[in-house]
Amino acid sequence: MTSDLAETTKRVRSVPGQPDMWAFVLFETLVFTAYFGFYLFYRARSPELFLHAQAQLDLRIGVLNTLVLVLSSWSVARCVQSARAGAYGPALRDASLTALFAVVFLCVKVSEWVRLSSEGNGFDSNDFFTYYYFLTGIHFVHLLIGFVVLGVVVYQLRSPARRDQQLVETCATYWHTVDFLWVLIFALLYVVR
Amino acid sequence: MSAVITPAASVAAPPSRPLYRRIAWHWRHDPKRELWLAWWMLVVFYSLFWLMFFVITRVQPPPQPAADLAAQVHYFRVRHLGIPVGFAVIFCIGGMIATNNALIAYSMRRMSVSPAFAYSYLIMYSLSAIPGLLLLCIALIVGTLRPERDPEAISWLYDFAFLSFDGTMGVFLIGSLIWMLAILLDKNRVFPKWFGYLNLCNGLTEVVVAPCWIFRRGVLAWNGQIAWWLDMVVFGVYTGAFIYLLRSMILREDFGTGPLPELKPGRPDPKAAA
Repeated sequence: MTSDLAETTKRVRSVPGQPDMWAFVLFETLVFTAYFGFYLFYRARSPELFLHAQAQLDLRIGVLNTLVLVLSSWSVARCVQSARAGAYGPALRDASLTALFAVVFLCVKVSEWVRLSSEGNGFDSNDFFTYYYFLTGIHFVHLLIGFVVLGVVVYQLRSPARRDQQLVETCATYWHTVDFLWVLIFALLYVVR
Repeated sequence: MSAVITPAASVAAPPSRPLYRRIAWHWRHDPKRELWLAWWMLVVFYSLFWLMFFVITRVQPPPQPAADLAAQVHYFRVRHLGIPVGFAVIFCIGGMIATNNALIAYSMRRMSVSPAFAYSYLIMYSLSAIPGLLLLCIALIVGTLRPERDPEAISWLYDFAFLSFDGTMGVFLIGSLIWMLAILLDKNRVFPKWFGYLNLCNGLTEVVVAPCWIFRRGVLAWNGQIAWWLDMVVFGVYTGAFIYLLRSMILREDFGTGPLPELKPGRPDPKAAA
């Protein structure tokens, strides 16, 4: 009974994947918190400019992209769950589905950038669009790294000689971080008015 | 440089005091003396680097990119003593970068990964000294010691100095990614994995400075809150972490080829005390 309790406590206290990845999550969250802090500071200084510029964004596009990324989080969570259960075929399918959602996100994001810049809202048009392109751009880079991370998941799952569950969970943690950061960026850029 | 080095035969324990005899003993008998020498050069280099750039020359934090011609000429005039003195020291100690890079490359040679990582890193960071240090020093020293030149030429040097320093981070980005990959693939536990991920964070800040070529004002200019101040905080944390971890690696070094042994808390370095 005591050993069961100790085992349960140990399981509850452990984090999914490598604890080192959670240090990355914490550090990146702090860096993005600073980005958001600067954004809010400059927004408070020029609220009308930011409101007017925000109106140029299409909220529906932001909602669509958020839904797509939330779905990608769901599919990567399913991938981890399947891998834990030893169902590597479905896990591989879910990893591929996650990559597909990411491709949709990137296409929608690039098309939004093209539309905005063709309307004259470029990177250096005003403070709001500087932040818009910067935040969505740096998130875009994180998502591109995410493709490498998904590649590691697929590489791990494909061969019975590998299949390191901790590594799969570490990669999934990275993916969830990218989604989590997008939700904050979406809220700040598209929703908070 | 090889990861497999046969240690010298153990001799008597080092004298506990006085300090100079202890240092002399380590100098003669410590099998890790080259590693310690490289590590102390790293500490001395970064200490002098910060002192020269922030205190003596006062060229960091960087000035306003959008300053007018008169302000740019004035910038050089008020630093007519600090820049030559400070950069003279930087030119003298610049060679220490080689031993810094060598120590980091040694850490990668001690890992279970291909030597290609260490050699790639050495090449990348040897190149990085040119845009990341020397071009800035040369441009600013020319501007300071040739005050009679056309203000337009002085302005060109001003832009060239800070854009070369802040805007050419590609080599640092690739260098960080090489070190990150080596750490994540390593099975010898030379560095903790979190430091591999911290390399990625540092690499991403190198991406963030790229817009300083476009912006002359705001958070993304070369002196901006994001492109300079925040990145400097990340770089400071990163530098502090790798200096500490390299020290830890030297303490744990057993000159073998397998996993590095862990240090037990409160116990002295077994090799040095042998």
